Amino acid sequence: MSALLIRGGRVIDPAQNLDALRDVLLRDGLVAAVGERLGDTDAARECTVYDATNAIVAPGFIDMHVHLREPGHAHKETVATGSAAAVAGGFTAVACMPNTEPAVDSPALVAEVRRLAQAAGLARVYPIAALTRARAGAELAPYWQLHDAGAVAFSDDGAAVRNPRVLRHAALYARDVPGVFISHCEDVELRDDAVMNEGVRSFELGLAGAPDLAEDLNVARDLLIAGDTGKRFHIAHLSTAMSVELMRFARAHDIAATCEVTPHHLLLDDARFERFRADAKVNPPLRAAADVRALRDAVRDGSIDVFATDHAPHTAQEKARLLSEAPPGFSGLEIAVGAYAHALPDLPLSRFIALLSTNPARILGVPGGTLALGAPADITIFAERPWRVDAAAFHSLGKNTPFDGADFQRRPIATIVAGALLMKDGTIVRDVSR
Amino acid sequence: MLARATRFAATPPPRDLLRDVCVVNLFFEASTRTYTSFALAEQRVGADIVALPPGSSSLGKGETIADTALTLAAMGVRVIVTRHPESGFPYRLAESFEGHVINAGDGRHAHPTQALLDLLTLQKEFGEIAGVRVALVGDILHSRVARSNVIGLRALGADITLVGPQTLLPDAMARDGVRIARDLDAVLPHVDALMLLRIQHERIAPGVLPSLDDYARNYRLDARRLALLGRNAIVMHPGPYARGIELTEDVFAYPGWRYAQQVAHGVFVRMAVLDFLVNASTRDANPA
Ligand SMILES: [Zn+2]
Ligand SMILES: [Zn+2]
Repeated sequence: MSALLIRGGRVIDPAQNLDALRDVLLRDGLVAAVGERLGDTDAARECTVYDATNAIVAPGFIDMHVHLREPGHAHKETVATGSAAAVAGGFTAVACMPNTEPAVDSPALVAEVRRLAQAAGLARVYPIAALTRARAGAELAPYWQLHDAGAVAFSDDGAAVRNPRVLRHAALYARDVPGVFISHCEDVELRDDAVMNEGVRSFELGLAGAPDLAEDLNVARDLLIAGDTGKRFHIAHLSTAMSVELMRFARAHDIAATCEVTPHHLLLDDARFERFRADAKVNPPLRAAADVRALRDAVRDGSIDVFATDHAPHTAQEKARLLSEAPPGFSGLEIAVGAYAHALPDLPLSRFIALLSTNPARILGVPGGTLALGAPADITIFAERPWRVDAAAFHSLGKNTPFDGADFQRRPIATIVAGALLMKDGTIVRDVSR
Repeated sequence: MLARATRFAATPPPRDLLRDVCVVNLFFEASTRTYTSFALAEQRVGADIVALPPGSSSLGKGETIADTALTLAAMGVRVIVTRHPESGFPYRLAESFEGHVINAGDGRHAHPTQALLDLLTLQKEFGEIAGVRVALVGDILHSRVARSNVIGLRALGADITLVGPQTLLPDAMARDGVRIARDLDAVLPHVDALMLLRIQHERIAPGVLPSLDDYARNYRLDARRLALLGRNAIVMHPGPYARGIELTEDVFAYPGWRYAQQVAHGVFVRMAVLDFLVNASTRDANPA
């Protein structure tokens, strides 16, 4: 019987409106007690003690948008290396996108991803299944069967479902299937061959740019389809000020929709696009400074529900290609906590934790997101502690980050999954008892 | 650079300015005029020229950009003159090449030696460039010639107007010292120099232009529009020009048509760039 006592930390659980100095006792993979001076009780004798003095103890962080690349692209990342990156970055769970090779569009492939995650034995990995077969945008995926196999959501992430009739029918058919539809909103015609944001900067550099409209039009379309069909939608990686306005419109009209923002869209703008390197190439692209401000404001006022990294590992060689040929995206799991805090140092901690744990758990309908008695013993402990990003030391195979060398103030210092301490001070601990 | 080119134009320099310097012309995009102009310039300064046939180079395909740079450096190449369909290619190449890289045109981004030869043409015509009223007309958005010219003209204090339809010249391209106009007829009486840009058929398919005729209605330089120009105004074109599209045959008879001068200046400007890079920087590196 394994037990772990987390002593002396500031425990914050937005789901219970809890913010106090408390001890937390974990036993048999569940939260067994939260209280004052639990160390003195009989129940806590003979258990391992983690001293969380001067640290914050939160329900485990969940990154609901990562790319773990298996099956098919194991040279970029594997489920094992990706879940190591997750626990190193303070995440107890991740939801992984199905744009693999082949796409995760069958119960067998969902089971395969879960098997790989089980074998890795680190973070919880929740597969997201394709929204259309082979992500081709034409035929509906078998939603009920995918759900039975363990898929927590459906998405053709990497691209939008091009045909609105297909998306509408998918949403109608899947309305009662547990599992939100996650939309990657980029109109492929408007984006065309863009490698960056369209604006003064792309005009100066002579690079093809994607207009805000490419995103806005698709966000509007998908929110209206959500309203029309009653299916719950989650809009991935908002990048424009108008997208935020559209989310507010949807809320005002009782459309069941939520949304997320990435660390890079909260911190970087298209001025970052230097020297024609793909280091800053991502979809949707880094936008104007005004968009960055609008996204931060939207986090502050509650218009944005979730922090998600869109962790997109690639090899250094792939990222060194010519701009038009290099793949988009950044490795995000191991910079996330520091980056979010850097973008929004004034955000109350309970909100910070809600965006990283409470809300993604609720939106995906997965266990966790709270430290209530009997909840899974998934815990992230973090502290205000300056650190510098060192991409070479990432557990992820993808060292591609525009934040290499950045100085951040907040750092995850322990990751506990099902009661087992898997990361301590940045080092992965293999718990032999598991 | 302009002074150096002017000197070379007046008195041909000794043919050994770049003796024993290996120059490679790495063109990934066909370009008869620019390629020939560089080749002539290289000969006139006495460089050893390695001509990789345009388009046939495997470099840059299977190899990474860095591999290409290392291979050429190992062969003793000290200057790479490169043209590439992708914006930024010369910059990426320069990152891993210890010699000099000359941009002979990259994507939509820049064509610096074209801008220099245009500046030289303006300087010859007007004495100095500050205050000269220049209008660039046509497909500004996709034009590396326009971008480089705007940089040079701004630096030298010219008065710049960009003219074209919205799909080829977004409003957001306006900036300090750069005006945007849609009505060419209204601009013509107030310019000293008109730079026409090439309009390509390929702009019609993606719906950027309805037809070349519709474009010509507003922007083709013909006899009527030539008559709107001031008395000493000149007309320039980077070539290759398309008769009947951005201009009519009338332009060739116009006394201010400077195309031939531009082409001639191209060789001197490119000689100046080669001499400057190899000799000025060597002198700096090894002070006597
Ligand atoms: Zn996406
Ligand atoms: Zn993604």
